[in-house]
Amino acid sequence: MQSNSKANDVVVIRESEIRSNFRALDIRWRSAETFAILPSNLPLSDEWLDAALQLLPQAFCTKHFLLLTSGSTGQPKIIVASRERAEHLVEVIHRAQDGEATKETICCLPLSYSYSFVNQWLWSRILGRRIILTDGFMRPNELKVTLDAAHDAMICMVGAQVSLLRSFFGGRTFPGIIRLHFAGGRFPQEQLGPLKQIFPNATIFNNYGCAEAMPRLTIRLAEDADVAANIGRPLAGVELKSGIEGQLLFRSPFRAVGFIENSSFRAIDDNDWVDTGDLGCAGDNGMWILLGRRSEVFKRFGEKISLPAIDAALKRVWCGELAFYRETDSMGENGHVVVIAPHPEERQVKAILMELRRDFSRPHWPLRVESLQRLPRLPSNKVDTGALKEQKDLIVRWSQRY
Amino acid sequence: MSNREKLRDLLLEVLLLSDEEFSFDLNREQVETWDSLAVVAIAAGVDETFGYHFTPDEAVGITGVNDIIRVLEREGISFAEA
Repeated sequence: MQSNSKANDVVVIRESEIRSNFRALDIRWRSAETFAILPSNLPLSDEWLDAALQLLPQAFCTKHFLLLTSGSTGQPKIIVASRERAEHLVEVIHRAQDGEATKETICCLPLSYSYSFVNQWLWSRILGRRIILTDGFMRPNELKVTLDAAHDAMICMVGAQVSLLRSFFGGRTFPGIIRLHFAGGRFPQEQLGPLKQIFPNATIFNNYGCAEAMPRLTIRLAEDADVAANIGRPLAGVELKSGIEGQLLFRSPFRAVGFIENSSFRAIDDNDWVDTGDLGCAGDNGMWILLGRRSEVFKRFGEKISLPAIDAALKRVWCGELAFYRETDSMGENGHVVVIAPHPEERQVKAILMELRRDFSRPHWPLRVESLQRLPRLPSNKVDTGALKEQKDLIVRWSQRY
Repeated sequence: MSNREKLRDLLLEVLLLSDEEFSFDLNREQVETWDSLAVVAIAAGVDETFGYHFTPDEAVGITGVNDIIRVLEREGISFAEA
């Protein structure tokens, strides 16, 4: 499907179109027709997109907007969001993140990513602040120039970008950044020291949410907790609860109104408790604690295995990228494989193994430790877990042997 | 590489031991990581490295490194020190 083509009266805008004509997005936001903002290189056929958009009920064909989300399973899902709700959310997060002092925002994530779209583009539109688009770490020199010139600026990043940030800009400082937000993955709590060196004037926030929340649910100041799993308190109006299986559920006046997935549209009712896909529980002082993705906690030889807990332990000794994929072992038990990048030295592999031994019994150990030069990523910048084991430069560094 | 070195490397890898922690006199009780799954892993590693597959009784009866050497020497695999 070409830019601006229509299916069921939905206008489709590609990320590349916004970059060549930034006003296009503003025009779409003001017009009545529902529009979809999609990545430039969509890994989906035009036919799939056309068929999916035809499923959108007529009631949502005006005053809404659509974003594509790619869950860690890689299954495409179109989120249907209300513009009015999103605008209200912006006002709430502006207050929660003490955004009044912020004069501009620098984008180093795609705008088709709900976090960047709402927290940056829509925020700048409603609050009348400047927005600066960059190609992020695709063009680090240009990003550096932009960061150098920043003045009372906010940037929004995902945790996976921190290793790139440190590689490219370690030792530099960008005093013009006063707000630094993280969302869309594990909060880099253990990297706060280096982040404070690079952004000495920045207040750092951990944001939590999901595409169905459109997209924010909680926020906390980085210093208000010492573990990455602490996602802070719900935003005003947002309710959280743990389901009977420990799943983290939410109700929010800002959430998406429905989604298109697996060839069907599903509306989300105002009274529905929506599953975040994570496990979580209430902590102290109104804060909430993430216990991992539902798919990241499983039983192995009768023991509860938490991939986030293993991830946190290994990050104490491994500064590069790290990901997991699931695999069944030769005994039919659930297991997992750790993949690190870039390729490590032998002593680094030993350090990882010794950390595993120190903190966990054998059932928690991975079936294998593998390495790649670089982890494959989806357009959203999440690790493409489905593609990890298909990479040609994959090297097995250690194996359980069974 | 001698058979002693091969066996040492295998056990270091399976049990996640450091060089300093290893000795040929080690017993199962002395090594926290030598659990039942480690027995399976050692058996698989011995099969892969020395071409001998422990019988279930042999695998269960192994109480230390010397037991592994004893079983393998009985199969004609020499662990004589150079």
